[in-house]
Amino acid sequence: MAKSLLVISRQAPWSGPSAREALDIVLAGGAFDLPIGLLFMDDGVFQLTPHQDAKAVQQKDLSANLQALGLFGIDEVFACAHSQAVRGLTSPASAAPLDNPGITRLIDRYDQVITL
Amino acid sequence: MKFAIAVFSAAHAPSSRRALLFAQAALAGGHEIVRLFFYQDGVHSASNNIVAPQDEQDIARQWREFVSQHQLDGVVCIAAALRRGMLDQGEATRYQRSAVNLEAPWALSGLGQLHDAAQNADRLICFGGT
Amino acid sequence: MSTLHVVSHSPFTDSRLDSCLRICGSQDAILLCGDGAYGLQQSALHTQGVKVFVLAEDLQARNLSLPDWAERVDYPGFVQLSITYDKVNAWL
Repeated sequence: MAKSLLVISRQAPWSGPSAREALDIVLAGGAFDLPIGLLFMDDGVFQLTPHQDAKAVQQKDLSANLQALGLFGIDEVFACAHSQAVRGLTSPASAAPLDNPGITRLIDRYDQVITL
Repeated sequence: MKFAIAVFSAAHAPSSRRALLFAQAALAGGHEIVRLFFYQDGVHSASNNIVAPQDEQDIARQWREFVSQHQLDGVVCIAAALRRGMLDQGEATRYQRSAVNLEAPWALSGLGQLHDAAQNADRLICFGGT
Repeated sequence: MSTLHVVSHSPFTDSRLDSCLRICGSQDAILLCGDGAYGLQQSALHTQGVKVFVLAEDLQARNLSLPDWAERVDYPGFVQLSITYDKVNAWL
């Protein structure tokens, strides 16, 4: 059986290529039909904010990659509820909110973790 | 035990040296390294154009020697490498760039190699940041 | 399943250790290395009840003293920890 991998993305979308490259790991895993999960945590939850304008800072839009997750078979997409709360955000429909014990259990059930 | 080791920081970052010492200790302990995968700023750890001052450690050279000596599979992510100006002869020719800073024992390849390594290893260990 | 969390950033300038402690399980452990070793100076760390290791070279380099609630490991010890625990989560 394939080993499962959880990617924890902690970077805001505007701090260089880091957030995009974390998503690329997820999408590449999905392309190989591997069991991949994605958790947005800390500033990573800012990636989920709708209607951001990448063109304003001459960047590529990350939201297209986020929308591609489903197409790549990535169904396990979560957001850290604590990270959202302290940033005054509410959970968007694209990611299921998880409290701290929920995140502990999430990490527990994956075979491997990459936190970026 | 089979290890997949992923490096996310440049040779001058303490975490690149830490990854190297971990890898050396893993082999010394009788374990196997299925692949070293260099991603994000980790691609700079594979540069052959780093000139370290004489009284400082040359971690990029130590990586190169370690990978060569143990005939390890050292893979540098091609997308991350191109974005950061890390080119082998093939890519320098393809994109008409004047400098080559990546050569054997390193090989450019895709992110699939990270997943493949993780699938074939008992442990995936990442090093990056400071 | 147990996780070895590896933290290499100082908790005094960076939120990684805080985030790690929020989601650390009862079977988990934290390995402090690099500037993460300064986490030994944070008294809140040992009150969490999580097992704490520190990379010996980073302890020595920073002239930090080892509290009785933490344990030092060298690189072979680091390798062994990564085997003892089911997975390694490095906070890059």
